[in-house]
Amino acid sequence: MPALAEEKPALRHLSSIDGGLVLSVLLLSAIGLATVHSASSEMSVDYLPRQALWFGVGVVLLIAAMSVDYHVLLDFSIVLYGVSLVLLVLVLVAGIAHGGAAHWARIGPWQFQPSEFAKLATILVLARYLSGLNRRMLDLPQILASVAIVAVPMVLVLVEPDLGSAMMFAPILAGMLLVAGVRLRVLLIAALAALVLGAGMWSFGMKGYQRQRVLTFLSPETDPLGAGYQVRQSKIAVGSGEMTGKGYMQGTQSQLRFLPVRHTDFILSVLAEEWGFLGVLTVFSLYALYVASAARIAMRARDRAGILLVTGLLSVLCFHVLYNSSMVVGFVPITGIPLPFLSYGGSFTMVNFVGTGTMLGVDLRRYVNR
Amino acid sequence: MGRVRLLAATVTGLLVLIASGFWFVQIAQGDFYRELAENNRLRKLPIIAPRGLIFDRRGRLLVENLPSYNLMIDRSRSTDLERSVAFAAAVLGRPAAGLDDLLERYREVPVYKPVLLAENMSLSEVARFGVSALEYPEFEVEVQQTRLYRHREQTAHVIGYIGEAAPEEIERSGGAVAPGDVTGKKGIEKRYDAVLRGKDGERVVVVDSRGELLREYGRVPARAGQDLTLSLDLELQQEAASWLDGPEKVGAIIAMDPRSGELLALVSSPSFNSNLFTHRLQENDWQAILEAPNNPLQNRAVQNAYSPGSTFKIVMATAGLSEHLIDESFHLHCSGGTVIYNHPFRCWRKEGHGWVNVREALARSCDVFFYHLGQRLGIERIARYARLFGLGSPTGIDIPGEKEGLVPDAAWSLKARHQPWYAGETISVAIGQGPMLLTPLQLAAATAIVANGGYRVVPHIVKNLPSPPPERVALDPRALAIVRQGLWAVVNEPGGTAYSAARLDGFDIAGKTGSVQVIAQKVRTKAESLPFKYRDHGWFTSFAPEESPRLVVTVFVEHGGSGHNAAPIAKALYQKYLSIEAASHAGGLEASHAGGLEARPAGAHEASHAGAR
Repeated sequence: MPALAEEKPALRHLSSIDGGLVLSVLLLSAIGLATVHSASSEMSVDYLPRQALWFGVGVVLLIAAMSVDYHVLLDFSIVLYGVSLVLLVLVLVAGIAHGGAAHWARIGPWQFQPSEFAKLATILVLARYLSGLNRRMLDLPQILASVAIVAVPMVLVLVEPDLGSAMMFAPILAGMLLVAGVRLRVLLIAALAALVLGAGMWSFGMKGYQRQRVLTFLSPETDPLGAGYQVRQSKIAVGSGEMTGKGYMQGTQSQLRFLPVRHTDFILSVLAEEWGFLGVLTVFSLYALYVASAARIAMRARDRAGILLVTGLLSVLCFHVLYNSSMVVGFVPITGIPLPFLSYGGSFTMVNFVGTGTMLGVDLRRYVNR
Repeated sequence: MGRVRLLAATVTGLLVLIASGFWFVQIAQGDFYRELAENNRLRKLPIIAPRGLIFDRRGRLLVENLPSYNLMIDRSRSTDLERSVAFAAAVLGRPAAGLDDLLERYREVPVYKPVLLAENMSLSEVARFGVSALEYPEFEVEVQQTRLYRHREQTAHVIGYIGEAAPEEIERSGGAVAPGDVTGKKGIEKRYDAVLRGKDGERVVVVDSRGELLREYGRVPARAGQDLTLSLDLELQQEAASWLDGPEKVGAIIAMDPRSGELLALVSSPSFNSNLFTHRLQENDWQAILEAPNNPLQNRAVQNAYSPGSTFKIVMATAGLSEHLIDESFHLHCSGGTVIYNHPFRCWRKEGHGWVNVREALARSCDVFFYHLGQRLGIERIARYARLFGLGSPTGIDIPGEKEGLVPDAAWSLKARHQPWYAGETISVAIGQGPMLLTPLQLAAATAIVANGGYRVVPHIVKNLPSPPPERVALDPRALAIVRQGLWAVVNEPGGTAYSAARLDGFDIAGKTGSVQVIAQKVRTKAESLPFKYRDHGWFTSFAPEESPRLVVTVFVEHGGSGHNAAPIAKALYQKYLSIEAASHAGGLEASHAGGLEARPAGAHEASHAGAR
């Protein structure tokens, strides 16, 4: 073929932006802003203006991430990964110096969680590594190398100690290995191994309060003031919402301060109480739309790197959604895992928008020759 | 491709599974939970952790906690708001219009949220609302902890005050501070907030449908904040404060132990009543403080930087001696002025000082001597020695917001003024004029270095927490010894600039006066005849006793006329210090005798351990 093939600049393809993905993000964000406002109406601070600011920043970051060729990101991935590891170590050292858990890094007046940044960097590095392997099924050394890439930042976050954020690295590995080509049998064995490892963690690696949280999950009545109290109040909020909810800003559980951190980790409880089962279904449908759109983007990406990148980003996001929603109905122990696009939070919101922007960037470049 | 589809399908499947969980909780068990929510009988009540108390160095209480009874009104429970307000006004003995105004301000607050109507009610008022609870269920009495600053203005700049936590503080604290908590806003209260605050506990109680408490379900006890003992001596602090009490009394006084950096007194004037900040409803008082002349919220001892004036000659003399540009026997003739770089420079004494050596030049504060010394040293060396004395950087005191002052040199001039340093400026800097700036505390710390023979101490207010040890400074101890003699002569030899103002029989005070021109005065007039704001600032920095100094006193009086007027204040503080020492010696002997028996075996025990290692 003559080289007449369309080598158009990426922006010409703006009309081919994935509508499903954008629509689900915008609707989820709108629902999130409204619910954050309701959740914080009885607090001394209304978090709506700040979350609106994060949303605005997020949109800008989304466009920026979309505009950058993801191959450039992959080229720089090792640098980003190195920087994120250094940041994690710095936070760790600062935390030791302060004699307690410190997950925040500070640049001037800005604070952010390096673990959020590390997740993105890890996905990029892993995508780059796995896309360079030209095999249908990975062999053991390659799998072990992948594990190592993820394990280093994961362990650093774990010893901070931030169990919730550390858990986020597992789905990156699982999702990307699955798509890169690992026998399902291997993944199942790995899952079993993770369970055994979890048991080991329980015995040797966990802090007292973390163990207490797991225990309370198993029998909520033992710690009425701790996690058990939260699970119970959350279930009352969710359950009393019934089919259609109590109405916006009318949730007695949420408004009367029974729910802790209701603008972040328990935002879904507030929504479930005020909008009922129908509200929950709406949100779940939007997440399903997001997942389907992202999967479509992955499948039509022009190269293996693109597929893997989208898969990694999607895996983390899905895990957040699945874990957080399971948590508020008491299926899994409470740990600080917020809900994408709905929960209040600066770093978290930005990371989700950057991730979505990167997916759209992959999609825009599906026809472009490099 | 199939794998991506598998991933998406798994996630969707799990979503459906979780949705069915929601269905189970919301639909199948919805009635059960609705009932639980309707009479959610668990209430979480906070147990407020008492904030740490603050004592002076001899255990006298400076800050305590008091309960404050606040009147809250839940407007949603009031059948007739006018009637409610009339009742409250009658009980409180206040005009109803004032309360109406207050309610008007709460217009935006949801009605079911109780709002604050009155603070600091008396117990009899509390009781009247208590007995009327059936008739007026809308009123609730809230007990809140407040701080009582016993010595108000006298300690305000050191201790600071507390206030309701700002949103940024809540966010920054990572969960340690919750909305509605109080945090330190200034001074010790701010700097040691985390130490003083403790940790609130909470109770979960079971209530019946009318909100009456049935029983306790669980409790997390509060952890009280840690008490602080200050190095401040209340009597000395009050003496210092009394000298700067009144209109047109603006300045700062510092008394510090030069051996450890412990501050025995730190006063800044004008001051403010720190108790006004602990209440939420007194905006008028706030406004009055903000609008008062001379900014009472500014801590002049640490947050204002001034020209050092002639007190800078301490640094100059040390520099000249350490660099061997001069020695004890070096003499220079002062005829009341001199010409350097084709520019006339005048001594403050028109008649001149005649032949003076460094000791006499310090004692009589001869400008001409230091003009020439400045010319020989040059700005870079002057700046280096100023920095050795700790100027140009914060002292590290445990009061927030310290200024670092300014030590000018050629590099600074290029960077800040975009022009080269002029040699003529060096001559002005040599007598403490020009762009050089320091805080009164920096001068006290620099004076301590002279007093203790060359150790930098970190000034601090809190005594019962660890503080950095003294650090050796690279200054020639022989030079410092000569400077000490000169400073002794300032106060104890006829002709010394503080001879009449600060001399104390039987207690050898050494010090240096200084004055800072506020406006250029072509014709010198008597200070008293000038309007207040045009009068010179006065400095006096000192230590005593000369042979083994135990106390540094630095006084700065804004528009005080000159160092002459600052020196008597320092003298009064030394007198007070001696009388306190005498009194505690008389009373202290018995105490140490009684404590001795118990203290000794403990000490011996420790020593044997140390020996074993």
